[in-house]
Amino acid sequence: MFRSIWATLVGLLIEDGQLAIGALIALAITWAIAYTGGDQGRDISGWLLLVLVLALVVANLYRAGLTVRARVSSARR
Amino acid sequence: MDRRHDRWDQAGIEPPSAAEAIIGCVDPITLAIHATPAFVASAVEFVEATTIVLAVGVTRGWRAPLFGTLAATLTLAVIIATLGVAIVTIVPEVFLKGFVGALLLLFGLRWLRKAILRFAGIVAIHDEELIYQREVAELRAQGLKRKEFDWVGFLVAYKAVLLEGTEVAFIVIAFGAAGGTALTAATVGAITAGLLVVALGVALKQPLTMVPENWLKFGVGAMLCSFGVFWFAEALGMEWPGDALSIPLIVLAFLGASWLAIRILRALLPQGAHVEARNV
Repeated sequence: MFRSIWATLVGLLIEDGQLAIGALIALAITWAIAYTGGDQGRDISGWLLLVLVLALVVANLYRAGLTVRARVSSARR
Repeated sequence: MDRRHDRWDQAGIEPPSAAEAIIGCVDPITLAIHATPAFVASAVEFVEATTIVLAVGVTRGWRAPLFGTLAATLTLAVIIATLGVAIVTIVPEVFLKGFVGALLLLFGLRWLRKAILRFAGIVAIHDEELIYQREVAELRAQGLKRKEFDWVGFLVAYKAVLLEGTEVAFIVIAFGAAGGTALTAATVGAITAGLLVVALGVALKQPLTMVPENWLKFGVGAMLCSFGVFWFAEALGMEWPGDALSIPLIVLAFLGASWLAIRILRALLPQGAHVEARNV
């Protein structure tokens, strides 16, 4: 029971490892730019994070689509 | 009569009810920002838990699943009281928004990705009726001893309510951790969703297939991601133009990117490959 609760708690945040790691990297880049870029860095941090995450979502799903296409092709053969 | 009631009497108006007092202390914008996503996200989870509890009740009787639901609710109360309080007290206030923003972004991306895969046809659309029928068949196959307490029914209901409820607890803690009256607003949203879904389930005694769960999950995924981005940037010191009014714009950006991702996925997979893709 505790194992399934723990699995649910972890599963709440991570389903696709690459997407989760990508999001953490995006957060780290945003944080670094906000702290090293002064006022200008802070002012663009939100928009930067938004752009990074949107690109991450599209890229991750594009990659997932390619993987599924390859699997379907090999299953048909 | 206490002093508070004297004040209302002198003013010549009725004192507010407990619910009015709770909602009255939260300003409408906070209520809309924190209660709306908590309400929608919690409703989706409550619908899923209700389907399982209904399946158990209909096939094996109501005593065990109701005890299971009660036990899970108590476990959840302990989780919220310990984890929620720990997050709010251990994490310094200056980091809290950033921490919650990061958690919301990770949580929201998980929902959004799944919703996109569903709408692209790669993952099967969530079907509450199908889940209900499958659960009923499995529970019937397990058999039932009428003279003993139904531990199977108890555990199935307990596990379903606990697992779905953990997500509700997470949502309430995440939206409530923003500080101020946010926790009250998020709790009001989640409780309202719970009452509404349970009332519908009790009235209809069938899975709530009329709730557009797939669309709701799509919208909630975009909302959670947007709040995550918004709060994380605020924690870094950014001032968004129009403050909270920029949230709808961020939501639109996530919906736009999701639409693009769905188009790309549909274009990538050859015709007829979508159902096939689910089995590989």
